[in-house]
Amino acid sequence: MAKDPRETRIEDLPGPKSKGELEEMKMPYEEYCRKAFDPGNEWAKPEALKGVRWLSCTMYIFTPHSAANLAELGADVIKIEIPRMGDAMRHTSPFNEAYLYPLHDTRPMTGTGFGFTNANSNETFLSMDYHIPEMVDVFYQLVKMSDGLTELYRPGTFDRWKMSYRYLQEINPRFIYVWGGGFGYGPKVFGGSYDILGQAHAGLASITGMHEYMGGHCTKHSNWCIDWMSGTLISYGVLASIHWRRKTGLGTMIEFSQVQTPSRISGYTFPLYGRFGIVRQRWGNWDTQLCVHGIILCGKSDFPDAQNPQDKHDARYVMVSAFNDPDFKELCDITGLKDLYGGYKAHKERADARPQVEIYTALEKWAADKTRTQVVKILTDAGILAAPVMNDREVYECEHYRERGTIRWLDDPLYGDILLQSGHSVGMMTKTPRRTNWIWRPVGADNVKVYRDLLGIPLSKIEEWYNKAWI
Amino acid sequence: MANEKREVEIKSRADTLPLMSPEVRPWPITPPPPPEEVMKVYEKRKAGEFGKWCEDNLRFEKGFGKAEALQGFKVLDIGLWRMGHKFASSLLGEAGAEVICIEPPGGDPMRKLTPFGREEYMLADKETGEKCGLDFISEMVNKHSVTLNIETEEGQELFKKLAKHADVIVDGHLPGYMDNLGVGYRQISRINPRAVYCWVGVRGSWGPYKDRVSKHGQWELEPFAQCTNSFVHNTGFPQDQLPRGKGGDPTRSGLWINDYCAGEQAGVNILAALYWRDQFSGEGQFIEVTGAESYFDILDFDLSWYGFNASIKARTGGWDPNLNQYEWNPCRDGYMMIGGQSDRLWYRIGMCIERDYPQFGRLIHEDPFLKEVGARNALHALIKTYTLTTRWLRDINRVEAEEKLMDYEIAAGPVLYTDEVAEFPHFKYRPWVYTCETDYGTILYPTPPNAFQIKTPHRVKWMGRALGKDNNEVYQRYAGLGPTKVDELQEKGVI
Amino acid sequence: MADVIWCKKVVGGKPCETVNYLDPYCFWNWEGKTNCAECGTVYYIHMIQGHMYRGPDEKPGEKPDLSPLYADKPLEGYRNYYPGVKGRTRPYECLPRHIYLGKADMVKFSIRGKPVRGWRPQPPSAGLAGQFPYKWDIKKLSPEVWAEYQEKKKKGEVKEW
Repeated sequence: MAKDPRETRIEDLPGPKSKGELEEMKMPYEEYCRKAFDPGNEWAKPEALKGVRWLSCTMYIFTPHSAANLAELGADVIKIEIPRMGDAMRHTSPFNEAYLYPLHDTRPMTGTGFGFTNANSNETFLSMDYHIPEMVDVFYQLVKMSDGLTELYRPGTFDRWKMSYRYLQEINPRFIYVWGGGFGYGPKVFGGSYDILGQAHAGLASITGMHEYMGGHCTKHSNWCIDWMSGTLISYGVLASIHWRRKTGLGTMIEFSQVQTPSRISGYTFPLYGRFGIVRQRWGNWDTQLCVHGIILCGKSDFPDAQNPQDKHDARYVMVSAFNDPDFKELCDITGLKDLYGGYKAHKERADARPQVEIYTALEKWAADKTRTQVVKILTDAGILAAPVMNDREVYECEHYRERGTIRWLDDPLYGDILLQSGHSVGMMTKTPRRTNWIWRPVGADNVKVYRDLLGIPLSKIEEWYNKAWI
Repeated sequence: MANEKREVEIKSRADTLPLMSPEVRPWPITPPPPPEEVMKVYEKRKAGEFGKWCEDNLRFEKGFGKAEALQGFKVLDIGLWRMGHKFASSLLGEAGAEVICIEPPGGDPMRKLTPFGREEYMLADKETGEKCGLDFISEMVNKHSVTLNIETEEGQELFKKLAKHADVIVDGHLPGYMDNLGVGYRQISRINPRAVYCWVGVRGSWGPYKDRVSKHGQWELEPFAQCTNSFVHNTGFPQDQLPRGKGGDPTRSGLWINDYCAGEQAGVNILAALYWRDQFSGEGQFIEVTGAESYFDILDFDLSWYGFNASIKARTGGWDPNLNQYEWNPCRDGYMMIGGQSDRLWYRIGMCIERDYPQFGRLIHEDPFLKEVGARNALHALIKTYTLTTRWLRDINRVEAEEKLMDYEIAAGPVLYTDEVAEFPHFKYRPWVYTCETDYGTILYPTPPNAFQIKTPHRVKWMGRALGKDNNEVYQRYAGLGPTKVDELQEKGVI
Repeated sequence: MADVIWCKKVVGGKPCETVNYLDPYCFWNWEGKTNCAECGTVYYIHMIQGHMYRGPDEKPGEKPDLSPLYADKPLEGYRNYYPGVKGRTRPYECLPRHIYLGKADMVKFSIRGKPVRGWRPQPPSAGLAGQFPYKWDIKKLSPEVWAEYQEKKKKGEVKEW
């Protein structure tokens, strides 16, 4: 309060405290968001996980992604790979067609496949062969200087090398240790795992795809979704542990099995089985709980003359949603399916299986002489929610994602012009935004940076280790 | 017991329901393998001591007595219709935060959703008798329920009072809805600058293609996100393997998977923001996470690939275009997944199959093209490999295939249906599905993947919550409203 | 034999010896006529759950309903037919591009015309123990691509999006 109570000061009044704040409060919401998130200027703001150092003894996508999330949030992540060969994911490329080629020491013709992209952003790349007893000592030095690690080796492997949590907690009681794999303790403890195994094993495949009578099979999610999603859940577990460590000073060990992730996110599937013995089945492009809320096939492609087969043949699908009663009525009116409306006025009625078949069949019949764009336009003009099923080109060209900076070009320091889809896309933050600085670096690309600049090991020693293939 | 004979008359589906309840048909049907048996498995690879150490320290059942990582953090979750914000707050609740879920007096419409509109699959609260859908119950994990009409002025004031106590506010409403009511981040940050405020949605609360509502006010829900970020286009069987319109089409996920993806990334961002607040700045911030965009992260490298040489990812059914082997194919009794791409695993798979089917070894291992890891991912290499693999699989069922492949230490697993998952020995042993005695009776639920920790395992304590069950307690504690006042506001339609 | 048709048809005094791969999802349950990619012999097959219930029976003079996607010749060093060889294998429609390479695509410029290091060989690294320079010094390491890039810029082939 001002000394003289009769004086009115802006900071004593309720509401905005300055002209800037006042303007901020008056701004339309969208404009405010644009300004607050300010895509493209992430580097003007601090990093959330400043000062956290993480070791990533990982391969493939699942465990690497758990560390990449931290790196995007500002942690220093050291990725440790087997000398020369590196992460197996470096050898994956769609139909063997897309590779990037770094400078090389030994294998000039072997590139790094696009499969490696996005799972190891912003990290520092170290090579080390843990089998060598001398290197285990170096590993311990890193452990003393770090907050935690993620590893994915077969249960017992790190223990055999005296690198498991049992040993490391003695060296660094604050250490947070994550094992990520398929199964963990139990009868299938040594079962290897991949994303696709999680999709298959935990029931996700059994509820995705067209029903048998529609001609379909169990369908794989196109991407390594369970790898990526499990990796994120590890990052979540790690951050929760860091909060607890702030209070207690103690680290922990997390044993994380990706195979259970798809079950965890399967909604009513297990409760329904447990209570009623009902085994959920595939329901194709429709929704088990809402109707109309599904994808329909239109008769004509939007781009019959396009060169790319994806544009040419597949620009034919529309997501239609009109499950609330007035929307459903509107939909039936606009498509001339008035009889349908009469039969299924209540959502409860139209959400049942047979009516769904009837309704979607009728809608596809209605769309049989139309293109995707026509269908979307007719429905949108009528005030109904509809959207084209977009392909990668259309997503790239979508103004929305560009403006929000969730798809953007990166001038990668080593590889040049890379279209970036990760990092900035997984959430905007007004004060400590995520960011991607580089996509990845070659095997051992930061050996000197880590071994000498961090651990103080002489260059001659590093060279000796390198020549022995220890690093 | 299963062997007893019972007189049962079944005339309709309704007659079957009581026969299937957990009291009649408890889970698991067969017990999990005993620990002694599992110890032998550890011993096989000389990991007996380590295996025992893991069981002693990580066992799920011991988790309930351990500390909770986020103890003391308070979370408000306000939103409707979607799983994204719900999953985010479930994760916070599983890790020990106190989560208060705020619904309008009529409840979240998701409470009414049930598969195929069938009310008989909804569960009734034991006290109130009120029926609730299973999807809602499954994501109402460790959450309290209060009702509040945020559209009234008194409701907004009440919300502000609650918000003063919050470390985290998760907003699952339409774009700008809360802001418009004067209770969005802009306004809340004035009264509680430490709050982390996170909006979770489909494509955005701002921008030219932000989340929409229909003319009649219907919300845009998943799978719109998967449709507009290319996931659906890229998933499903190609028309070359199955006819279009009969299985050979772009296919949505069986789940509202982009919602879940947004939810977990919201969880990560929220915890990172809290870390920055507590460690450095003392300030909260505004976060926005969307399903469509957070799932870009999961679309492997597909958009980067388009930027590289204008390739538009095409669907490949049960196969993966980037690795070989890495797929599922039909076998005698379903589908069998096999994975192993490095040379070491590739040849082991070959050795396993050629024991039964020598021609496989010949045609695969002799072919010069298939000797290089990367080259094996070519489409024609996939066709050849998987045709021959399926030639082997057609004669054996899933269990046999799994046993054979496990002998060679291959990552392989059957495509399992829900009942098989719930009875799979490893799932029961861990357990990855478990029962929880809730206000809605016993519920079989999948356990949180972060439940296996030495110090602070995440856990499910209860699921589902009757609408407004915690009104009195929450409003008393955080807004100083006694029961009379709460009743009064309830009558006025504010609570 | 099923799932593959190992064609032994004698053509020109020699057995054909071509392996035609009947891809699993398409042919798992299928009845009709298919052809050998090499000699064109038409076979009737009826497959149920991946098993050859009937056939392969030669159907001289008849037209195939569906060709295999891929075929190769083990006795000739695995000489092969890719998908979409006219009259031999059926085309594969659902591809990411109108062309199919099956081998690494040498790319020097991204779709908006800026340099990207997608071609081989690249010069060897000069760093100690694999240590990498931080920056891709394109002007020094790949002067010809840099020059090409300057040309592209002049021609207006480099875009922002």
